[in-house]
Amino acid sequence: MKKAIKTFAAAGLAVIIGAAVSGQVLAGDAIRVGSKDFTENEIVAELYALALEDAGYEVERVFDVASSVIHTSILNDEVDVYPEYTGTGLISILQLDPITDPQEVYDTVKDAYEEQFSLTWLDYAQANDGQGLFISKEASDEYGITTISDLQANAENLRFASQGEFDEREDGLPGLEKVYGPFNWKSSKVYDNGLKYNVVEEGEADVSPAYTTEGRLSETDKFVLLEDDKQVWPPYNLAPVVRDNVLEANPEIADILNKVDATLDTATITALNAKVDVDKEEYEDVAAEYWETIK
Amino acid sequence: MLQSIAEYLSTHTAQILVQIRDHLLISLLALAAASLIGIVCGYFASRSGRAERWITLPFNVLRVVPSLAILVLLIPVIGTGVKSAVTALAILAVPPILINTVVGFRDVPDFMTECAAGIGMTPRETLWKVQVPQALPMIFAGMRTALVEVIASATLAAKIGAGGLGEIIFTGLGLNRADLLIIGGVAVAILSLGCGLLFDIATKKIIKWK
Repeated sequence: MKKAIKTFAAAGLAVIIGAAVSGQVLAGDAIRVGSKDFTENEIVAELYALALEDAGYEVERVFDVASSVIHTSILNDEVDVYPEYTGTGLISILQLDPITDPQEVYDTVKDAYEEQFSLTWLDYAQANDGQGLFISKEASDEYGITTISDLQANAENLRFASQGEFDEREDGLPGLEKVYGPFNWKSSKVYDNGLKYNVVEEGEADVSPAYTTEGRLSETDKFVLLEDDKQVWPPYNLAPVVRDNVLEANPEIADILNKVDATLDTATITALNAKVDVDKEEYEDVAAEYWETIK
Repeated sequence: MLQSIAEYLSTHTAQILVQIRDHLLISLLALAAASLIGIVCGYFASRSGRAERWITLPFNVLRVVPSLAILVLLIPVIGTGVKSAVTALAILAVPPILINTVVGFRDVPDFMTECAAGIGMTPRETLWKVQVPQALPMIFAGMRTALVEVIASATLAAKIGAGGLGEIIFTGLGLNRADLLIIGGVAVAILSLGCGLLFDIATKKIIKWK
């Protein structure tokens, strides 16, 4: 029994050392592209990886890292580059107060990241994966609602499908009410985040929170994304965040990644997300197909 | 932490009371449906080994499927809301009631039913005056197990818009706020234990009266 434990421990140790050594070796040659754990981030990270591979770099993919952990990963030298959102950098990472001008947000996070973390933000894409609200097409037509101001005026006729956290989060309903006034919903119920489109499609609710690039928003005959006409929500533009030492060693990757980002606007990203989340294609295939069209 | 819990409790009192009401309502409806199905099926299953196999098998298979999966699978069929939640929870609650009912009826000693026949009772009288009272403690024990299980699982109802204390728990998970998780978790635990206790007291009263 004792012997078995010893053998087991030795084997475990060997695996750990082996992994550490191979990690070290790979870190030397390959650029490690990371991604967060949701569709859009994986598609964009895959696009970065493809662009780098086409330019002759060896790429190691470190995908599907939890959103809350990836910043720590890049600080700990486990990832070299990953797609980040300007708003996330500003509010979640730097914990600064929200700013609503995209350029100002970008400049703020770029300077602060350089100073505090030795990380570089490359150019940001037009694509904005921010907070939003969507409404069913019928309700939009019936009450003439296209903006959040319209929504506030008609709230007493509408049923709200929340995910619970939206009602409590500072940048959720409380933030909206400060600027737009109170939302006196006809009813408000909590649903799982994955069900919000089904719930609205089946007519069990009229309005629900969403992120502005979610694939199902491409079904514009069913859902209408409302305009944040009083600019409550900060922009969440996509941009590659790169470790400074990697960028210094390979200065040309800035151009390669900036070129990818320049093609990404909100409609493009939403359509790519829809291919994965609605049409159930694999994100690798969707990214590869899109890469063919822009390279 | 204590302060934020107290603050949430004072600012959201009305909302929490509605959630407790919804939670209990869903749980009790599910228990009622499951008891009806479990006791009736259990009685028939107790009459022969073959019937028992065929009746308990589907329920045992269904019970293995996680309630969350059942909830989501039911959406295209029944839709969201209370009906789906009650159905999923009832499926969870049937097996303990069913199994205990079978055991309860089967364990009625033969000499008692034979005596009943001997003193001229009709089969119906034997059922209501001998078998049911004998099986009742086992059936109640099954219902109690089911009740505690259902109240704990009813948190999932919040995933499909049926309300309940799950709303606080899922909000807490989304926001990573421990105070909400504690409020929701403790409330469900108290509800579960409290209902279990009330059920015990009621059981004692009923069985004594018998």
